Amino acid sequence: MITKSHRIDLDMFEGPLDLLLFLIKRDELNIYAIPIAQITSDFLEYVKLARELKLHSAGDFVLMAATLMKIKARMLLPIEADGDEEIEDPRTELMNMLLEYKRYKEAASAFENIEREERPHYYHIPSAWNPQQEDQTAILEDVKLYDIMFTFQYLLKNYEEPVTHAVAVEEVTLTEQVGFIGGLLQANTRLSFSDMLSKFESRLIVVVTFLAILEMLRTRQIKVKQSKLFDDLLISRGGKFGT
Amino acid sequence: MELNELKQIVEALLVATPEPLTDARFKACLGEQNVEVPLQEVINELQSDYESSDRAFIIKKVANGFQLVTRAEFETYVKGLFSKTGKLRLSQAALETLAIVSYRQPVTRNAIEAIRGVSSDSSLRTLLDRKLLEIRGREDGPGRALLYRTSTEFLQYFGLNTVKDLPKLREVEDILSEDQGELV
Repeated sequence: MITKSHRIDLDMFEGPLDLLLFLIKRDELNIYAIPIAQITSDFLEYVKLARELKLHSAGDFVLMAATLMKIKARMLLPIEADGDEEIEDPRTELMNMLLEYKRYKEAASAFENIEREERPHYYHIPSAWNPQQEDQTAILEDVKLYDIMFTFQYLLKNYEEPVTHAVAVEEVTLTEQVGFIGGLLQANTRLSFSDMLSKFESRLIVVVTFLAILEMLRTRQIKVKQSKLFDDLLISRGGKFGT
Repeated sequence: MELNELKQIVEALLVATPEPLTDARFKACLGEQNVEVPLQEVINELQSDYESSDRAFIIKKVANGFQLVTRAEFETYVKGLFSKTGKLRLSQAALETLAIVSYRQPVTRNAIEAIRGVSSDSSLRTLLDRKLLEIRGREDGPGRALLYRTSTEFLQYFGLNTVKDLPKLREVEDILSEDQGELV
């Protein structure tokens, strides 16, 4: 039973392992020989609470509860001596997980201390103004794949498929779209991805075109710039354009 | 080259550099000119100038280079220049995730979650958004999971020269012996 004094905010635990470590410390349990029956029932009480509170991470707690019950069941079963083979304690795996987690939890608190020490120092970052920069809007020259993926996800969310009633088989291939972008870049030095997007009739074409952009980026046929995360992608000719 | 002139050059580079000024970058900026004095020595000279003239900034060694930073006592004022997210402290979940990546990099999300025992998707996203982590390729195994690594910004954020400067991860035996001690 959980008495009032034992009632604690589940949100203060980072996860089931954190909660287990807390229970072990609170009840001064031996981590080498965890009393599984006791800890399982304590743990379940907390999980019940978590479910009542509708905590978002309750799923991870339920999974751990199942693991604990499995260990408990295995410990109740008579052990069949199978030759000289040494029988592993069903708790070993859990113990190792707890110890490993504890190492990183400690490291995290060390990080927190360093963060606190470094916090008051502000770096001098030169202003964005730079006369040699050809394009003032493109401050994020070093666009990473991650940025592009998120921009795509964002643009796709805002893309509304025009309502059409005709039934037709759409066929669009990657090669076609690579050729399409290549053609546009022959005529224009710079393309805007969102402008291009607004002309497409279906999500499929949007997706295939995006894949074409990734492909052309990989082969350095094009360059992509972005002024900030989620902002439009500006496409221009790359070093290997037209090869 | 006179030491004074050299000091001015280094100062100019420190003011303009977007990332820590390393020895290599310093040499590249000087081009053909041969300089006998090591960068560290010029930095020391500048540093003592700043200290004796009571400037509001100091030079900090970070990510194996040098950078100008404001002195801690001006935090109250300087922070007003930045948006709230600028120097928001990291959550416990983000710190744990960051700790695992720092010591195990390159590492997959699965490996992180196996250690934390809890989904780490949102903390990974926060850390990527704040550029403390970066994605560096994929694992060779099935699923070709993304691999995460700490970035140069991570070193700057924690004022480190390399990840080797991080405090040592404690050995399991060490934790165990301490815990047993607590029980007595």
